[in-house]
Amino acid sequence: MKINHLQHLYWRAGFGLDVESYKLLKNKSKKEVVDLLFSESSKITPLTIDLSEFEPLMNKGYKGMKDALSKEEFQKFQKQSRKKLVDFNEAWIDRMTTSKAVLNEKMTLFWANIFVCQDNNIWHMQQYNNLLRTHALGHFGNFVKAISKSASMSKYLNNKQNVKEDPNENFARELMELFTLGIGNYSEKDIKEAARAFTGWSYKPNGSFFLRKFKHDHGAKTFLGKTGYFDGDAIIDIILEQKQCAKYICSRIYMHFVNPIINDTQLDEITEVFYKDYNIGNLMKYIFNSDWFYNDAHIGVKIKSPIELLVGIKKVVPVTFINKRQLIYLQKIMGQVLLYPPNVAGWKEDKNWIDSNTLMLRLKLASILLNDAVINVDEKGDYEDEFEAYYKKQINKNRFIKTEKKWEVFQIKFEDYSFEELKRLLINSQIDKDTQAFLAGLVLSDKKDYCIQLMSIPEYQMC
Amino acid sequence: MKRRDFIQQSVLSSSLFFVPSFVKAFENVTRNSLGYKKLVIIQLAGGNDGLNTIVPYKNDIYYKNRPGIALSKQDIIKASDELGFHTNLAPLKHLFDAGHLSVINNVGYPNPNRSHFRSTDIWQTASDYNQYLNTGWLGRYLDTYEKNSFGGIELDDSLSLVLKGNKINGIATKNPSVLYQNMKTPYFDKILKSQTDAHLSEHNLGYLYKTMIEAKSSANYIYETSRTFKSKLDYPDNPFGSQLKTTAEFINSGLQTKVFYVSMGGFDTHAGQANKQGRLLELYANAIDTFVKDLKQNNTFKDTLILTFSEFGRRVKQNAANGTDHGAANNVFIIGENINKPGFYNNSPNLADLDENGDIKYQIDFRSIYATILDKWLDVNDTKILNKSFTKLDFL
Repeated sequence: MKINHLQHLYWRAGFGLDVESYKLLKNKSKKEVVDLLFSESSKITPLTIDLSEFEPLMNKGYKGMKDALSKEEFQKFQKQSRKKLVDFNEAWIDRMTTSKAVLNEKMTLFWANIFVCQDNNIWHMQQYNNLLRTHALGHFGNFVKAISKSASMSKYLNNKQNVKEDPNENFARELMELFTLGIGNYSEKDIKEAARAFTGWSYKPNGSFFLRKFKHDHGAKTFLGKTGYFDGDAIIDIILEQKQCAKYICSRIYMHFVNPIINDTQLDEITEVFYKDYNIGNLMKYIFNSDWFYNDAHIGVKIKSPIELLVGIKKVVPVTFINKRQLIYLQKIMGQVLLYPPNVAGWKEDKNWIDSNTLMLRLKLASILLNDAVINVDEKGDYEDEFEAYYKKQINKNRFIKTEKKWEVFQIKFEDYSFEELKRLLINSQIDKDTQAFLAGLVLSDKKDYCIQLMSIPEYQMC
Repeated sequence: MKRRDFIQQSVLSSSLFFVPSFVKAFENVTRNSLGYKKLVIIQLAGGNDGLNTIVPYKNDIYYKNRPGIALSKQDIIKASDELGFHTNLAPLKHLFDAGHLSVINNVGYPNPNRSHFRSTDIWQTASDYNQYLNTGWLGRYLDTYEKNSFGGIELDDSLSLVLKGNKINGIATKNPSVLYQNMKTPYFDKILKSQTDAHLSEHNLGYLYKTMIEAKSSANYIYETSRTFKSKLDYPDNPFGSQLKTTAEFINSGLQTKVFYVSMGGFDTHAGQANKQGRLLELYANAIDTFVKDLKQNNTFKDTLILTFSEFGRRVKQNAANGTDHGAANNVFIIGENINKPGFYNNSPNLADLDENGDIKYQIDFRSIYATILDKWLDVNDTKILNKSFTKLDFL
């Protein structure tokens, strides 16, 4: 496979092409490479951090939990839980950087921005995150059903408050608008009827699903033209029958994995593929094997998300954050904190990542992480912060992001490669001709310096 | 290039900065078709308790629901037969007496959301409760009526949704010199210096170059212009005070920026509210007082309108921790020399008719306030920016 095609594939299906993979794959055919990508993602390893301290509590029933927790203890739990969410955030980024199952991890990140959810309970959030990982390349219908029954989603979209006497429509609405059909492909009446089908769906403290039978509306519902005694699963099955569902998901996949601007013929083509069996793995395999995926028009035209940018740099030069809070801080000022989506519609991607402030920071990210450049940007406080805390980081000007960099790993990896090859491995978008001339004029003496320079041009923002 | 060049954030090369001609083109876009009216928006972040800010001191329901935190009649500055200001808001009461303040009560929106994040999004995007927009209302104003990022400035280091547009985003800075230095690395200069193309095509890479050039150009403009005016007044020595001081310097230096956004945090008072909120209101009122004086001294108060809001009010009933929980409708302050209906714009909240959560019901959609300001103050097409038509009010 050609280097820029390999790179393209590995940026879209993963977080960039590392040198080892390049060595291994460059003489293989497209089909062989794609097959390898899938086989490396065939085994799913859940992402877990140590949550043993919460175990006794979570395994109590509802009553037990209420009795066991005073208000202070509950607040203590919440505080610890939020700390653990920071650990989980870091572990997730680490996983994306080091896992061999790059495709599965990339899909997990993608789905986290479709089935958007936020929850301060780390126990439930870890389960939710692993649901994404487990189903990332599986059957879409089973995926939606599992997500609908998860504790975090139940809380986030108020399914827990959805009861026969007073149906809450929040989940039903977002299920259709954002998770499956897209706005305008159902009526307000459909939302009302679907909400009835999800009444009584609840979860236990340990996160497992259960149906509160007496809160469930067992009556007949009419949904998208069908009438029956539907429950939530039946509603999801009816949604899947709509071709629009396949089309909606394919359009999201296309914009994320192929090109932010949709080509209708290619979209229709993959919609047909997906609608047949709703198998996500088959769909992705089809895309990565098709010739059009490697059209020049699709290569290097997407703006990396902050997480892709960060993970991409980490994959080239291993960097660890000495202070975990700083990892969150960086995500925050670039506009994407994992586990903290802005709202149920998720992060708006591509151009939306960029404004004057974020772009300048992103262009400096490599220097900040790898060259001890200072950062002069304050983090906005949280709503819950007191006045002083809201502004406190202001005192802390000219901050260094404290990192440990393993340049020796980089040196060994790139030892046999020329400066030109280094450039081709790091940049896969077209390079602007003036910038190209600028690069050509640089005196090349040190690969480390050149690496940082390359990572600082606007082209490195593209994938 | 030397490694040091990357690390340095130095000014040494400032005289070497070469402005490509197409950057000049950006800077020379005239904006004279618009007036000089400025809008300063202040968010009291965290949900300010409007009931203890503008107090219904004759209302029994108020006292019954807040045995631990209600303000007694001695602790307020009476302003009408029914309503009075929190005692720490004396400077605001002076503005009220001078006819420069309009208090609009019961402002909110249908199906209020009590999440800080979501509700702030709704206020910043002017969306419906169930609609998710990725542009802010001021961002859409920039899209339609401005040419540069500096058309809208947020007094912060990162830009929030409110100033994000489709084509143009505002710029965030609370210190123009830091912004200038951040953009002024020798490396960016060299990259930009080597550009001969206008890069104005619509593709993403072109967009990045364009943003980079625009950012640099805006940072230079803001820095060079704002340093021609230094405020002589002593602002309260806290971050909010400095933000307003910088805003005054922006306005008084003749910076061509029309909208400013400031956020003051700390209002999420779930426990021990009385002291906390009292202090915050004092900080707010003192800073506003100096700000207005500064503008008056420089003859710019007549061209400035200040809007203060909070993403929601708080529950009428206090909680067990002598605090209040997240509520719904709230009051909004409009400050300026040209307001049409100074004083209390409308009736006080009806505490006998609360929503199912025990929160104040809204009477005025906040987007009607935006529409009024866009139409009557900034003199632009409000419907185009808000995507919908809202009833205009007559506070302007």
